[in-house]
Amino acid sequence: MSKDLSKIYNYSLLKLSLIPLMLWVISTLVFILLRIAPGDPVDAILGSGADEVSREMLRNRLGLNEPVLDQYITYINNILHLNFGQSLSTEEPVLNIILKSLPATLELGFFSILSAIIIGFTLGFIGLRYKGKRGDYIIRIIGIASYAIPPFWGAMLAQLIFSVYFNIFPIGGRFPIFQNQHHITGFLVLDSFLSNDFIGLREGLYHLALPSLTLGFLLSGIFSRSLRINLDKSLKSDYVNAAITRGVSRRRIILNHALPNALLPIVTISGLTIASLAGGALLFEVTFSWPGIALRLHEAISQRDYTLVQGIVIITSLLIVSLNLLVDIFIALLDPRIEY
Amino acid sequence: MQNKILLSIIIFIISLLQFSCGSKKASQKIIVASYGKIESLDPANATTLKSVQLLNSLGDTLYELNPQGELIPELASEMPIFSEDKLQVFINLRKDILFHDGTPFNSNAIKFTFDRFKKIGKRSYILADKIKSIDTPSEYKVIINLKKPSSSLNGLLTSVNLTPISPTFYKEYSEKFLNDKFVGTGKYILSRFSNEIQVIDPNLNYWGKKPNNKGITFVSYSNSSSLFGALKSKQIDVLLSNSIDDIQRNSLSLQSKNKKIQEGNSPATELTFISLRTNAYPLNNSNVRLAISKSFNRKLISKKVSYGLRSPSRSIVPPILRKDNQDLWPKYNPSEAKKLLQKEGYCNGNVLNIPLTYRSSVPADKLIALTWQEDIKNVLNNCIDIQLDGVEATTVYDKLDSGIYTAVILDWTGLYSDPNAYLMPLLSCSEIDDEKCNKGQSVLSGSFWGSIKVENLFNESEEINGFERLDKLFQIEKLASESIPYIPIWVSSQKAWSQNNISKPTFNGAGIISLSDLKLINE
Repeated sequence: MSKDLSKIYNYSLLKLSLIPLMLWVISTLVFILLRIAPGDPVDAILGSGADEVSREMLRNRLGLNEPVLDQYITYINNILHLNFGQSLSTEEPVLNIILKSLPATLELGFFSILSAIIIGFTLGFIGLRYKGKRGDYIIRIIGIASYAIPPFWGAMLAQLIFSVYFNIFPIGGRFPIFQNQHHITGFLVLDSFLSNDFIGLREGLYHLALPSLTLGFLLSGIFSRSLRINLDKSLKSDYVNAAITRGVSRRRIILNHALPNALLPIVTISGLTIASLAGGALLFEVTFSWPGIALRLHEAISQRDYTLVQGIVIITSLLIVSLNLLVDIFIALLDPRIEY
Repeated sequence: MQNKILLSIIIFIISLLQFSCGSKKASQKIIVASYGKIESLDPANATTLKSVQLLNSLGDTLYELNPQGELIPELASEMPIFSEDKLQVFINLRKDILFHDGTPFNSNAIKFTFDRFKKIGKRSYILADKIKSIDTPSEYKVIINLKKPSSSLNGLLTSVNLTPISPTFYKEYSEKFLNDKFVGTGKYILSRFSNEIQVIDPNLNYWGKKPNNKGITFVSYSNSSSLFGALKSKQIDVLLSNSIDDIQRNSLSLQSKNKKIQEGNSPATELTFISLRTNAYPLNNSNVRLAISKSFNRKLISKKVSYGLRSPSRSIVPPILRKDNQDLWPKYNPSEAKKLLQKEGYCNGNVLNIPLTYRSSVPADKLIALTWQEDIKNVLNNCIDIQLDGVEATTVYDKLDSGIYTAVILDWTGLYSDPNAYLMPLLSCSEIDDEKCNKGQSVLSGSFWGSIKVENLFNESEEINGFERLDKLFQIEKLASESIPYIPIWVSSQKAWSQNNISKPTFNGAGIISLSDLKLINE
């Protein structure tokens, strides 16, 4: 590889050095926005029937009576010490709550992307194989439909068909009802595997199947369409024509020459898809009662659980920025034409 | 090639179907599903109905309200005895009862539980102005010292928040919550806890009647459609929820009428009402409030919004807690409403504008508001104009005491089983100035209405018991119904639906499901 790795290294360092600044901006914005937004965590916790004395007592206990500037300084100081504080509603450490919910979202995201790639690539290849024929048109329609369908509607439809009418999959939830889950990493499938609990693994996959396949299907259109278009474009390139004239087999042309070039834009799309997943995960998690970070964030916002919202937003932002950086580096390594 | 692909797909689907059938029911435990997850099983931290429902099976209270609304001793061996000055309550406890950790239940446990709740309890305000201290003169006798006479204490002692816990087990948690464990004296023992799934097993050493089942698995879903679908596809045995959409409640009720499932109802405990701001124009005029009240068609709203499943109410106290025929609020009468408004100078080209706020996160609220608005357009078109404004629930609660809502739809469930748990939070006021409340519960409820007569009656009612007390409370509500700081809309009951192979769900008088009575019929 003739790539100048020092340029990528410098680029990565620059990006990494900007992460703390970006996190400070995000955490400050979240802090300010939550305080500006109407609603009081004490009302959410106590309800409207509590008297003023009880409200004041709880405000004092939760530190909400401190001046906002003092609250902000404490908050930033705590973050610098990797202390995200305690949830206002449950008084449980925020980091514990995040560590319980985040693996669920990452697990769902991973299997959804995997399904999307498998479904998308399969459809993309078939479309190209039957280019201009009926199969190609059907796959194109499926592709367009998959990313035109609103995720929540697609999720409800899948739930209705596969869980309610055919009763093939569980209607929601992440954990098998009659199975104790293992807590090693928080990733149910991985933990079951590490514990040699194959019944747990089967049950975990069974619960994961419908949400991840549905989300995978909804994301697959973008993969199938871009593979179909980019591979088709690559197959018309001069280097492919040269390979054909040299008598290289079609299979080898596709796998060794055309596909690697067609994959580059798809890697970029994957990075963007992961970022958009963070936003789209909420409705999906609500529909499938999936106890992930997006559902937790939704609950925390409605409860005005300031510390939990702040913690989740910071961790999620950090994850998305890190993933985007990794994708940037990966693309630069793959494509010699890209320079930073 | 195509045939092979088709065959593979068919094999895959068949194996999935087999897998789904095989893995669905591997336990004799009954699966009860409801909306929302359980954050805490600490009685001092339990604020959601779901956690209260589960805690009621894991622990016992000193007293319980039976389905007829009568107080019955549970951990207490007899009814409470009040001292002559009404400032002390003597309670004798049952003997030979053990906590789930094997330690004995005694008066120290009651003291520990009450003191802990007063110190850290999220709803400790329910005790704040009532209980001064707890004395334990002997192992099985408790004396509750009151700050002032309180006849509503009986109802308070049924509160699940005061479920006795083991002082030994909670020693390290006397000043902080223990959310994921519970050690009480109840019929069930907690065997597994996560926010989404809780498993409880029968307590083999239980002192009273043992459960009818081999345990319960509690699961939570985050939306109404999943709950409905889970019951329909038989993935769950019992659906317990008051939070599912009315259209689905209606569908489930129809299915129960057709004997496809069974429906159990609790006594109605949740009141939905409109709070009217009585300290500012235009609703500071009692005739205007009376006219508005008479313009409110409860039957129509119940029929259109809840398919008739929620009972229209002309009282702010649920039926199980009040005297018979206590429907004190004015009946729907648009012609009288028109006359009243005309008397106050409205209707003849002068339309009364009422901004009505509803909680946008509560679907029924919007439908109530829209239905009333449409009905007013039909019957009092030139007199009243209802302007709707949807605001998120938490914001509504936050701003209620600032007096920015002229009329706002709210609901309330008493924190314990007593008429006072409904009347006090809505009507009591500590600083009254000419029927306007400057400080107190009615400010927090958004009505700003106060009455010295009502306050006197509240004080008098705390010193008496029985029918005499109910009569005082009746008088309080009568005064409120004449001034109309609120318009009651309906009272809702808890509902549970079970599959036909499970016994019909039953509830106690406080609207809590009796999990121990659920039974697999083909067992």
